Amino acid sequence: MARKILFDTDPGIDDAMAILAALRSPELEVVGLTTVFGNADVDTCALNGLRLVELEGHDHIPVSKGAGAPLFRRELDLGTEVHGLDGMGNTNPPPPRGRLDPRPAVQFILEMVRTYPGELTLVPLGPLTNIAMALQQDPEIASLVEEVVLMGGSAFGVGNISPVAEANIFHDAHAAEIVFRADWDVTMVGLDVTTKTIVQPEDLSRLYAGKNPATDLLERIQPCYQAFHDQVYGLNGAFHLHDPSVTAYLLKPELYTAIQAPVYVETTGLCFGKTIADVHRQWGARRAARILVEADSRAVIDLLIDRLIQ
Amino acid sequence: MRRFWIDTDTASDDAVAILMALRWPDVHVEGISTVAGNVPLEMCSQNARYTVELCGKETPVYEGAAQPLLREPFWAYFFHGPDGMGGMNYPEPKLPAQETHAVDAMIEAFRKYPGEITLVTLGPLTNIALALGIAPDLSRKIEACYVMGGAANTVGNITPAAEYNIWVDPEAARQVYHAGLPLVQVGWELCRGEANLLEADLDYIDSLDTVYGHFTVDCNRQAIQTNREWLGDPALPLPDPVTMAVALDPGIVVRQSKHYVDVETDSELTRGMTVVDERGVTKQEPNVEVVWEIDVPAWKEILYQVLRA
Repeated sequence: MARKILFDTDPGIDDAMAILAALRSPELEVVGLTTVFGNADVDTCALNGLRLVELEGHDHIPVSKGAGAPLFRRELDLGTEVHGLDGMGNTNPPPPRGRLDPRPAVQFILEMVRTYPGELTLVPLGPLTNIAMALQQDPEIASLVEEVVLMGGSAFGVGNISPVAEANIFHDAHAAEIVFRADWDVTMVGLDVTTKTIVQPEDLSRLYAGKNPATDLLERIQPCYQAFHDQVYGLNGAFHLHDPSVTAYLLKPELYTAIQAPVYVETTGLCFGKTIADVHRQWGARRAARILVEADSRAVIDLLIDRLIQ
Repeated sequence: MRRFWIDTDTASDDAVAILMALRWPDVHVEGISTVAGNVPLEMCSQNARYTVELCGKETPVYEGAAQPLLREPFWAYFFHGPDGMGGMNYPEPKLPAQETHAVDAMIEAFRKYPGEITLVTLGPLTNIALALGIAPDLSRKIEACYVMGGAANTVGNITPAAEYNIWVDPEAARQVYHAGLPLVQVGWELCRGEANLLEADLDYIDSLDTVYGHFTVDCNRQAIQTNREWLGDPALPLPDPVTMAVALDPGIVVRQSKHYVDVETDSELTRGMTVVDERGVTKQEPNVEVVWEIDVPAWKEILYQVLRA
């Protein structure tokens, strides 16, 4: 039976690859997309969510709009420099055919968890605002969700939006702390592992040879992402595999190695948004998260390309 | 001869670092200043003077700050033993402490030999912050300052986010990091894992059967045990001797780079974290040379060289 997953996402160029690969994988059943601000404003992200499900005829998958701003912070800083003003690499995609689900994201998440008790995996690819609000509204979901597999954080190294913080966590650090302190299984797919898997231009040539709607879309939008990675990291057309690493992990967890440690999120000061791994259990009994640290990067990239070109 | 100054909260691994500098052929240690840290000031002073005597030297030992600038002290007996020396209870040294306060002595020395003295700090940065506060000109007169402290954007020891020396007096560390002196950070992460003295290394030191070899292992016995139980890391980490090895021979550094580094002082969660802006996102002027990798066999060889005779 396919594993039921709910993406909470801010599409987003790398969100697009993560979601399209999941939609093409029979092992995964996407029960819905909830959207959140992050890579672009939430209205843009919600429309992109619709575009992604419609691209290859998954119009039946509901897409719901969620939080447009973090829980407590006033300033909103979006990833449009990385993903384009439209979250799709400034390609001005046509309007979607369908409409958003009338339910707000938090309500949609709570209903899905209750509909599939013990079976649903939450897959956040953006700031954790929706997930935190759902938990606050109905703390029982912690025991009803199968697992949370999120892209975010940096436990043992450098950040990307501040010297020590990763962007998804930084965009709503308070929400992230709520998610990490809850008593549920969390797998953290953070910069520790996502920056070790680097997609090269040769990989993209193979991908784009797929010539299907999914690969055609990625071919249009990814140059913006490549340009950013070149400008900031000097990657010469290559890029770090952030959100799609989550899909790869859901499909083949055996491609990854992990460290178990409770995670705390800094919500003030210089280290705002830093995820701190309490490796030696110095801070008490918080439930450990599974922090991915190593990947079989070649196999991860091949797996995703195979799914996208098949 | 190269001139060195050592600032230390002398407990077991500090003692080994002091011994290394005192016995290094082309180095003259102008003075040793003590600071509250691992153990209270008087104990630091006694341990430093005992080590100087053991090496047959008369290097002056000055006593400095008895507590951090703003925080309460946090002694590390659990790691270094009740006397800071693994419970060895070494005898009271005959060498007396100097009358002059460590901060005054340091200011005088660095002004006397401008641009000549290498400073090596093995404890909280309280004395250095005070000296730079009183005499800002020191930032241009210190040849280089090697800091055993911090963990560059990675796991600490006293908390998951911070290394002990910086955590104990984060305000002092922050002042020193921003004082404009040529600073080299040798973080805790460089002193773990492979860089530990492993069982075979300890056996080798034992087999040398020298006064200094036995001293190195004996005074660190508590640390070996605690490290195993506390951090699940086998064998003996020697952060101060690693830092001293880098200062004695910077050639053992495999990789280092200069970045803007700041120290967290507001939050309790990340108190004392050394935040290294590796990717330049803060657009601030780099202020610290961060050591990322050392030649581990070379560091151990420097230690053995000192312990052999």
